[in-house]
Amino acid sequence: MEKVCVLGAGSTKYGKLSDSIADLTTQASVAAIESAGIDPKDVKAAYISNVFGVADKQVHLGPVLMSNLGISDKPSLSIESACGSGSVSFREAFANVAAGFYDCLVVTGVEKVTHTGTEWTTTYFSYCSDFFYEGQAGASFPGLFASMARAYLTEFNATEEDFARVAVKNHDNGILNPKAHLQKKITIDDVMKSAVVASPLKLYDCCPFSDGASSVILCSEKFAKESGNDYIEVIGSGRGGSPAALQGRERMTTIPSTKIAAESAYKMAGITAKDIDFAEVHDCFTIAEIVDTEDLGFFEKGKGVEAVREGRTKLNSDISINPSGGLKSKGHPIGATGVGQVVEVFDQLTGKSGARTVKNAKIGLTHNFGATGASCAVHIFQSV
Amino acid sequence: MSIKELLIAKAKEGKVLTHKCTKCHHLHLSNVYYCENCGSKGFENEILEGTGSVATYTIITVPPAGFEKYTPYAFVVLQLDNTNLRISGFMAGISTPSDLPVGTRAKIVGFDERGIILKKQ
Repeated sequence: MEKVCVLGAGSTKYGKLSDSIADLTTQASVAAIESAGIDPKDVKAAYISNVFGVADKQVHLGPVLMSNLGISDKPSLSIESACGSGSVSFREAFANVAAGFYDCLVVTGVEKVTHTGTEWTTTYFSYCSDFFYEGQAGASFPGLFASMARAYLTEFNATEEDFARVAVKNHDNGILNPKAHLQKKITIDDVMKSAVVASPLKLYDCCPFSDGASSVILCSEKFAKESGNDYIEVIGSGRGGSPAALQGRERMTTIPSTKIAAESAYKMAGITAKDIDFAEVHDCFTIAEIVDTEDLGFFEKGKGVEAVREGRTKLNSDISINPSGGLKSKGHPIGATGVGQVVEVFDQLTGKSGARTVKNAKIGLTHNFGATGASCAVHIFQSV
Repeated sequence: MSIKELLIAKAKEGKVLTHKCTKCHHLHLSNVYYCENCGSKGFENEILEGTGSVATYTIITVPPAGFEKYTPYAFVVLQLDNTNLRISGFMAGISTPSDLPVGTRAKIVGFDERGIILKKQ
């Protein structure tokens, strides 16, 4: 297996954006190509992640991107795995470079939905659930994570204020990220007084619906070395699955796919959770970050909430969780999110993170899942 | 009648169609085609009473399209009696957490465009 590296990374701003989905895809890809210091003609193929291209009247984004890059003869494909599309696409691109099929690829994730409004997004996102049992019965995504939150409150010593602390922390990080959607300081009181979306989750427990695109250049180690530019190594890649519906899981306070993917990624990297300096985890809702940090092995089950209460997941504390601001503050353009996490790790490990830099970081982890964690990918990166 | 149609017909009678593996007797909801325990493909239908207790739930105040007129309502994961199976459904008329503590007894009472319909017992 070839060693795989990330040679360049770029993102548009996340938020309510006016550019088309095709333009966002191209802008992020150009940013990644320029960051890598390569010529578009070095790119052998594109992996695109996107869920709701139909909302902006453009699916089959790959050929549009390739035409815009002047390399319309190069192949491309699109991958949809709900909110986990970006990391799944990254994984497939990783596997192709590792196998030696390609020496340089662009992986670009994108989403453009904010123009559709809350009802459309709430409805269409619910199609990512096991629809017969969940979406059809009126379960929104906030509702499904709220069901996990209710189970967590019942099983462990946790409060709704504890969930709010996750939002406050991630907004504190997001303020330091010029590309974040919600660059706004909030307090526990703000979260507690925000409108209930799906009890016990309130508006500020939820990530925003965002537009945006992120892109990275993946290449072989030989290609990276010859480029002469900064790069990082992908040292672990793991994937896993969970029952599609919450009802099928033994416990609703854990996400099996995260554990499976993490175990596989740690094994490939030859490290444990203790070796991770910082992590970008899938905090679509505050409860998710707490569950994630337990399933990834940073804290014991039921103890993630104590870690948040004690400030142990803040920037430059025991383990910096979501230094970018996470989905909660940076935003969640669902097809882009998994790729955007890799952009953050690249920037962190190559000294481009400014005020939100995790000090002395050498190893970063990304964790991204689809739906309530029915599909998941974990990747581990190391500075060179 | 397809399996899905039979599941819906049974839900309308307040019951749950399940699939019991003929080889290892592991019980599944009826959407499963291969046993998750032993991989076998043979199943026999087993009809359960649609009664149980609330395993977890949420009260939805920002609904998907079509649910505005029912809001607020609960989405409930029901732990079925005498099995390790859970099934999800819609429950009307729930507006605060005190209306539906975890563990509340509930049952299936129907099926319509809102999927499986649950009610407190």
